[in-house]
Amino acid sequence: MNDVQQVELHHGAATDVGRVREANEDAYLADPPVFVVADGMGGHDRGDVASRIVVEEFARLAVDGYDAQRGAEAVAATLQAVQDRILAFDAEQRAGGADDSFSAGTTAVVALLVGSESGPVWLLANVGDSRAYRFSDGELEQVSVDHSVVQELVDSGQITAAAAAVHPSRNVITRALGGSALPGGVSGEADYFLLPLAAAERLLLCSDGVSGMLDHEQIRSILDLWEDPRDAADQVVAAAVEAGGHDNATAVVVDVVGLVHSEPHDSAASRMSLEQKLGALP
Amino acid sequence: MSENATGAEAAWSYRTGAWFAVFGTNATVLLPASQKDQVIGIWGLVDGGAGFDEVLDGLLASGLSRLPGFVLVSSGEAATRVLLRGEDVHATLTADGADVVLDGAASHTWVERTVERVTALTVTVPAEDGVEASTADLPVATGLVRVGRIDRPAVLPVAAPAAAAEVPAPPAMVEEPEVADLPVVEESPVPDESSALDEVPALPPPGVPIVGGAHLAADPLTLPIALANHTPDALDGPVEEPAEELAEELVEEPVEEPSPFDEGPATELMDQVDADLLDDTANEPIAAVDPLSDPLPEQPAQPDQPAPDGWVTPWDSPPVEPPVEPAVEADEDQMDALVDPDTPAVPSAPLPPMGGETEIAPAGWVPPPPPGASPSSDAPPLPIGSWEPIGGAVPPPPGAQEAAPFDADHDGQTVSGASAAAAAPMPGIPGQPPAPAITQPVAKLLISDGQTIVVDRAVLIGRAPEARRFTSTEQPTLVTVPSRLHEISSTHVEVRPGTGADHGSAVVTDMGSTNGTVLVQPGLGPEDLKPGIAVQLIPGAIVNLGDGVTIQVTRP
Repeated sequence: MNDVQQVELHHGAATDVGRVREANEDAYLADPPVFVVADGMGGHDRGDVASRIVVEEFARLAVDGYDAQRGAEAVAATLQAVQDRILAFDAEQRAGGADDSFSAGTTAVVALLVGSESGPVWLLANVGDSRAYRFSDGELEQVSVDHSVVQELVDSGQITAAAAAVHPSRNVITRALGGSALPGGVSGEADYFLLPLAAAERLLLCSDGVSGMLDHEQIRSILDLWEDPRDAADQVVAAAVEAGGHDNATAVVVDVVGLVHSEPHDSAASRMSLEQKLGALP
Repeated sequence: MSENATGAEAAWSYRTGAWFAVFGTNATVLLPASQKDQVIGIWGLVDGGAGFDEVLDGLLASGLSRLPGFVLVSSGEAATRVLLRGEDVHATLTADGADVVLDGAASHTWVERTVERVTALTVTVPAEDGVEASTADLPVATGLVRVGRIDRPAVLPVAAPAAAAEVPAPPAMVEEPEVADLPVVEESPVPDESSALDEVPALPPPGVPIVGGAHLAADPLTLPIALANHTPDALDGPVEEPAEELAEELVEEPVEEPSPFDEGPATELMDQVDADLLDDTANEPIAAVDPLSDPLPEQPAQPDQPAPDGWVTPWDSPPVEPPVEPAVEADEDQMDALVDPDTPAVPSAPLPPMGGETEIAPAGWVPPPPPGASPSSDAPPLPIGSWEPIGGAVPPPPGAQEAAPFDADHDGQTVSGASAAAAAPMPGIPGQPPAPAITQPVAKLLISDGQTIVVDRAVLIGRAPEARRFTSTEQPTLVTVPSRLHEISSTHVEVRPGTGADHGSAVVTDMGSTNGTVLVQPGLGPEDLKPGIAVQLIPGAIVNLGDGVTIQVTRP
C-alpha cells in the first residue's frame, strides 16, 4: 500500500431510509482507501443483514490492507467471503425455522485505490444496480454498468437510457450477492474498472434510491455545487428523499485532493471518435 | 399471372412508406418498422392462407403490449373487418356512399369495425423520420411491401404505363400490359400525377392484371426490389434489366428460386433495406446491385446474427454464411425476451435517432436503429476500453424476464433475476476471440519515456488510461505516457497477447484515439492503425502514439 497512502482522500457519506420504506437496508463503508455502498434487496429476507455483511467484509479489507498491485483479486476474494457469509446466514435462518426459500441478497459497489505502473488508480467494482459515477471538470459520468434487465435492454439497443429510467422492470437486477434461493440463482460476479485518479476528481457511489430518484443532471449539479464531499453526499441523499424517497438512499462521495489536474479528459471525444470510425454512429 | 385468383376486385394499391404490409388472400396486415422480426412470421401465416382470426392470434401471440401499432383487414369476406391500433393510424371505409373513419389511437387496445358492402377502403399509417412519403400508388395483390398507405380497391393511376415510361425502360414495358406491371414493383414516384389521380377511387382497368405483388410473394428475389427501390435513382439498376426476361420470370412460377426462409440473402437484404430506408444516401449501392441476376450483394455484416464476437464492423472478418432460419428465430426470441410484457405500449412518435436529445420514450417502444447503423451496432456508445462487446450480443436470457413478475410483489423494490449472460461478461477486444487473462510474456515494450513493460496481459497505454468492465482475473496493466501537446488520447492503444493466428505474439489495437496511431513493422512502410482492429506486432516494430512517444516492440 505504499503509494496508495500518498494520495489524500476526502470523503463524505449519507444515507436515508426514504419516505416509503420502514427499514434502511442500505449500508455503506467509507474507510479510506476503501469505499462501499451496498443495497440490501427489498423483497428478500433480511436485506439489511446482507448489506451489512458487505460492509463488514470490506472494512476488514481496509483494516488488514491488501496488495495494491492485485486489487481486483483482493476485491474478488472479499466478495466471495461476502457470498459465503450470506449463504451461511441463509442456511442458519432456515435451520432456525425460516422458510426453505429464505434468501438474503444485496448489491455492492466498491471503490478502492490500487497501484499501477503509473501510481495509484481507482479500482471500481460493482454487482447489481448500485452505481459508481465520476465527476470531473463539471462533467458527470456513470462508470459502472448496472447488472439489470433494463441495462441489458439498453445494451442491446432495445430501449434508450431515457426509457430505461422509467421502465417498469428497472428494479430487476441480474446479478447480486446472495439471493441463492431465487429462481435460476444469480451470479455474484463483479465487473471491474480502473480509472486514473486525474480522471476522477470526485467519485460518487450510490444506491438506486439515489440514481432512481434523481436524473443525471440533478446529480451532476449537486456534485458541482457542493465543494465539500460531506455536503455533497448529504445533499445528494436529501435531494433523493425530496424527489420522493421511494427507496433507501445512500451516497458516498470521495474527492482526490492534491492532484494537479491539468489535462482535460478527452475520453468522451475519443469514444465518440471510435464509434464514428467503426460506423456505429452517423 | 394466370394464377392470380384474387382478380382485380380484391387487389390493393399502396404507397411506399415505413410500415410493413403483408397482403394475403384472406387477410392483410400492417406493422410498424420496429416489428420487422414479427413481420416474417406474419408473412408466413398470411401467405399460407391464414384467415383473419388466425392472423390476429399470430399478431397477438407475444402480447398486445409489444405491438405499438398494427392494422388487420379481412379480405375475401362479405363484410370487411378492420382492426387498428396505434397513433396516426387511420382507416377510411366507404360503404353505401358513406365514409366511416377509424382512428387507431382511439382505444388503448385496438379499434375494431365490421362494415358491410365496403366499396373503398383506405388505411394510412404514420411516416417515419427520414422516409419520404411517396404519393405514387402501386398495385399489389399479395406480398410483403413497405407502405405508408394502402387502398382497396387499387387506386391505379390511369397513366401508370406513362409513369413507367418516364423511367428509362425499354419500350416493351409500356406496350405489354404484363410487362408494364413490372415497373410498378419498382415504384416510380410520380407525385403530381398520382396525387391527382388517387382522388378518384378508380377501379383498375379490367384488362390490367394486378399481379406484381403476387409475384413478390412467390418470388423472394423480387421482394428486395420492391423494398429497396424508394428513390428514383434507385430505379436505374433494376429497370435496365431486359424487361421481357424479368416479365417471363414473373409469369412462370420461379420454382427454382430459393424461398426466403431457407437462405440467408432475404434477411440480409431486408436489413439492408431497413438501413436504406433510414438513410437515403445509402441507396446507391443497392440500386447498383441487380437483385435478380446477380448473386445477392455481400453484406458487410449480418446484424441479425447473434455474432459470437458481438462486434460488427464492415471490415472485420468476412461474413460467415449462417443458416439464417435459426438466426431469425433467435432474433425473434430475443425480441420476445426483451420487450417488456407489462409495458403499456403507448404508441408514440418514433424516437429521434441516436444523438438526438432525450425524449422520454414510452417503455417498450423499440426505437428504430440510428441511420446507417446496423441493428446490432446501435447500442449506446461504449466506453473506450470497454470489455463489453459492442452490439450487446448479451440477450437477456428468459430467466431475466421471468424475474419481472417479482416487481409486482415488491412495490418497486429491487429484486433480482437470473441472467446467465450477465454471469459471464464477455471479455476481450470486440471482434477478437477473448484473450486468456494472463499468459506467458509474449513481448516487451520499450517506451520512449524509459518505461519497459512486459506484455503478459492486456496493457492499456495512454495519457491517462482507464480500463472498463473486466473480470477479477484479467486486471490489465495501465501505462501512462506523457503527452505535453495532448496528442495522445487518455486510453490510446492496447497491446495484449494475441490469440488464434496471433498466438504467441503481441497484438496492438488503437482504442479510438483522437489522433490515431502509426505502426511501422520492420521492413514495411508506416501503417495507420484502424481503431478497434488488432494488428500483430513483429519484434522490431515501432508504434508511434504522437507527441514524440514511441513504443518499440522486442522479444520478451
